[in-house]
Amino acid sequence: AEYEWTFQTSETAGEPQFEMKEQWAENVEKMSDGRISIEILPVGAVVQANQTLQAVKSGILQGHLTDPSYFTGQNPAFGMIGNLVGAWSDPYNFLDYMNNGGGEEIYNKLAEPYGVHLIGAAATGLESLPSSKPIHSVEDMQGLKLRAPEGMVYNVFEKAGATPVNLPGSEVYTSLEKGVIDAADYTVFATNQSQGLHEFANYPLYPGFHSLPMVAVSINNEIWNSLPGDLKAILSTSVDAMAYKMVGQLKTRDLEAVREARKDPNIHVIDLPAEERAKFRAIAKKEWKDWADKNEITQEFYNSVVSYLENHNLLKAEDGGSADQQASTDSQS
Amino acid sequence: MSSQSSSSTPPETPEGEQDQSVAVRSTFDRGVVWVARRVAWLVFIAMAISVYEVIMRYGFDSPTSWVHETVVMLVAVTFSLSGPAALASNKHIRVRVLYDSVGPRFKLWLDRFNDLVTFLFCLGMSYAAFTMSWTATHNPMGEWDLERSGTSWNPPFPAYVKTIIMIALIVMCIQSLIHLYQSVRGKPAQPSDDLGAA
Amino acid sequence: MSIADGTLLMVGAIFALLVTGLPLAFITGLVALVFTFGWFGPMALPLVTTRVYGFVTEYALVAVPMFVLMASLLDRSGIAKDLFNAMRVFAGRLPGGVAIQTVVVAFFLAALSGIIGGEIVLLGILALPQMLRLGYDKHLSIGVVCAGGSLGTMMPPSIVLIIYGLMASQSIADLFTAAITPAILLMGSYIAYVLVRCLRNPKLGPPLTEADRAETFANKWQALKAIIVPGLIAFMVLGSIYGGVASVTEAAAMGVFGVLLAVLLRGELTLKTLHGSLSQTLMTCGMIIWIGIGAATLVGVYNLMGGNRFISQVILGLDVAPIVIMLVMMAILMVLGMFLDWIGVAMLTLPIFVPIVEQLGYSPIWFGILFAVNMQVSFLSPPFGPAAFYLKGVAPPSISLKDIFVALLPFIAIQICMLAVLLIWPSVAMWPV
Ligand code: NA
Ligand code: NA
Repeated sequence: AEYEWTFQTSETAGEPQFEMKEQWAENVEKMSDGRISIEILPVGAVVQANQTLQAVKSGILQGHLTDPSYFTGQNPAFGMIGNLVGAWSDPYNFLDYMNNGGGEEIYNKLAEPYGVHLIGAAATGLESLPSSKPIHSVEDMQGLKLRAPEGMVYNVFEKAGATPVNLPGSEVYTSLEKGVIDAADYTVFATNQSQGLHEFANYPLYPGFHSLPMVAVSINNEIWNSLPGDLKAILSTSVDAMAYKMVGQLKTRDLEAVREARKDPNIHVIDLPAEERAKFRAIAKKEWKDWADKNEITQEFYNSVVSYLENHNLLKAEDGGSADQQASTDSQS
Repeated sequence: MSSQSSSSTPPETPEGEQDQSVAVRSTFDRGVVWVARRVAWLVFIAMAISVYEVIMRYGFDSPTSWVHETVVMLVAVTFSLSGPAALASNKHIRVRVLYDSVGPRFKLWLDRFNDLVTFLFCLGMSYAAFTMSWTATHNPMGEWDLERSGTSWNPPFPAYVKTIIMIALIVMCIQSLIHLYQSVRGKPAQPSDDLGAA
Repeated sequence: MSIADGTLLMVGAIFALLVTGLPLAFITGLVALVFTFGWFGPMALPLVTTRVYGFVTEYALVAVPMFVLMASLLDRSGIAKDLFNAMRVFAGRLPGGVAIQTVVVAFFLAALSGIIGGEIVLLGILALPQMLRLGYDKHLSIGVVCAGGSLGTMMPPSIVLIIYGLMASQSIADLFTAAITPAILLMGSYIAYVLVRCLRNPKLGPPLTEADRAETFANKWQALKAIIVPGLIAFMVLGSIYGGVASVTEAAAMGVFGVLLAVLLRGELTLKTLHGSLSQTLMTCGMIIWIGIGAATLVGVYNLMGGNRFISQVILGLDVAPIVIMLVMMAILMVLGMFLDWIGVAMLTLPIFVPIVEQLGYSPIWFGILFAVNMQVSFLSPPFGPAAFYLKGVAPPSISLKDIFVALLPFIAIQICMLAVLLIWPSVAMWPV
């Protein structure tokens, strides 16, 4: 092939997203008539998940398909754009915002100084929340020991009254099982179900409400700039195709897993009521505002995303007023 | 058994630490061991704050946001600096089948070869670590800006640990250069306390 | 250069450098560095140190210095000696009794923790010198410590099975359930081996004489009192995990805390003891962690070179019966296990092997157990046997690496037999799942 690249993902090879990313690479090869050949490697194969940004910049990797939240420590905007907690209730809205609402432009403004170019954004779908205690309301989150990784999740749940615990992913399974933590910000429902997490975290919240990680498909900036227009178009189009396919396939998998879980009398799948979701979003919105103050890009993103959500009537008026008040009394209590 | 030439020094121990006799090859190595023994207290701190976290979380329902990251950082620093310490006291594990079965002259040549290779290795690693540490302490515009962990507490630990790794490798570079100088001059490496064959 | 040539060159370079007596950590690291430079150019060099960063910040490794410190403190205080004297009293006239008890202790430690380094260091500091003091055969004692200490990654909670479950998207609960029987069988086989050898030749594990008995404890009651303190420590670690008080890694820190309290209560806690233990901890880490660092750098480069694709082509190029493919995969795991630590082997092979296993119609849970037993072998197999290195880090100086590897051969044979049993009768593992 004219171009031979290695891209690292943020999943292990067993996860369905990994297979979808491999299919994307195959698709690119077909569409480019063999001019581009991309090898997809699982998480940690070359460098740790939070080191791929530097690896792509320095040319060790040519690109990555990853959750930008891993790079929050280099610029908070990565965490904010990568996973705006509580903002999205439908992944298609997020994709629309990235493609047509100005999201990708802002992301590239952020990423290009770091030597990478965003080809396009995808999303994994809304993560469920495995919990060993029933959560029917924001009130029920009081004192909940919840594992939260890097990014915004920790602060938002803290504001919602929960007690976040900072544990690495590899400790989640045993810590939930033994009761060290009550709940975890972890991954999508189907994966939790297949790992047997729901046997003890038997009050999973589904559909999710808190976390929608972006999958940033990026390439080394110099390579991107040197590509002819037709190959650029092939890459962009193929990422968009993957993004829509990914959302659909993951949802199908989740729904199958939910059906399976419902058959088990010990597992109680909880759907957080709309008014509670609104309360949670109101709390999250305040955190967005705090993050907006961090730098120019976070401010620009905040303005852009809030105006998109408002224009599309996704921050319903009744959410704002009463829920805001409710939230402030909650967080004071 | 190693044969010691007349120029070799007996195992040296830092003052006041006779209980821990360790064969070191140079004054610089002795300093490295001295510092490393103090660095070891980081493990104690890591233990103490882990227990604090468990008590606060289990007993008082108020886990900290800082313990886990700090523990990982302290242990990472300990691991990094344990490399020069082991090099100083010739504790790195090696296969000694050939080394122990040859005469003193050939042994010296093996020392020279190993010291040279170790030096070149540490030199290459130091260069790589310098690049890594530079990226972790500067933003894309080349301004001073520490890489942080990205958590709610958001400490600049990645920048610290990467810089410590660089320092450890540079120290190992200097150590192995001194070793090389010694073996070229004909002073054999002080064998570690591993006297068995293999 | 093709990846096949590159692989051969790597293995050749490692063996050539091994002979010169260069430290193992520098051998793998150097090969990684040279291949990064040669294959990708100077701009890729930070890859090697980024792997170092990734390795030293691995959360699972936090338990390693904790276990070393715990063991060192037990050893420097009188607790360890009391414990093993007491065990000897209880062992009575059974030849090899203390070795058998060591395996049992190792098994209970294995149920507490999921990593190997700590347990081997613990047993290497506590049990090994005591067995040697009691006149036990050197090779038998070493084998028991290393093989027993490796059980931690077989018996739940096991970090090997957790990582397998995460990488293969399999139920960790099912993996844990399936692992219990093989883990118990392994423990049983080790005990049986010790028993058979010592019954045939009691000199290998001399039973207690009346004169010895007078030296240690007057009676079983006194011996029992000596066990109370270590028992409380074990309870503290175990209780904090199973009581949901601490995570698996935090429990190691709780264990150190417990030992410190015990040493304090016995009036043996001095600044010198603590400082000495901490110094020993750091030195031991230097020996064992840097070997892991070297291996970690090698895996990163090999993956980037396309090593995992190469392995997959080798397997998919075969046109043979499914069970033969399984055997080939076992052979590859075993060969890689000679050179890399288990996490490297997992990274390199699982993304390729698990889909093939599923395609062949076998259970990935069963394969996970086979993988875990294979990794038991890899801990002991030369030239890179982490269990041997962990033990070398703390064993008396008179014990060489060669002694250790020779001692491990019969135990490797037992593990391979267990692997064969599981390959022939999968239900040995799978019956409870
Ligand atoms: Na275990
Ligand atoms: Na091995």
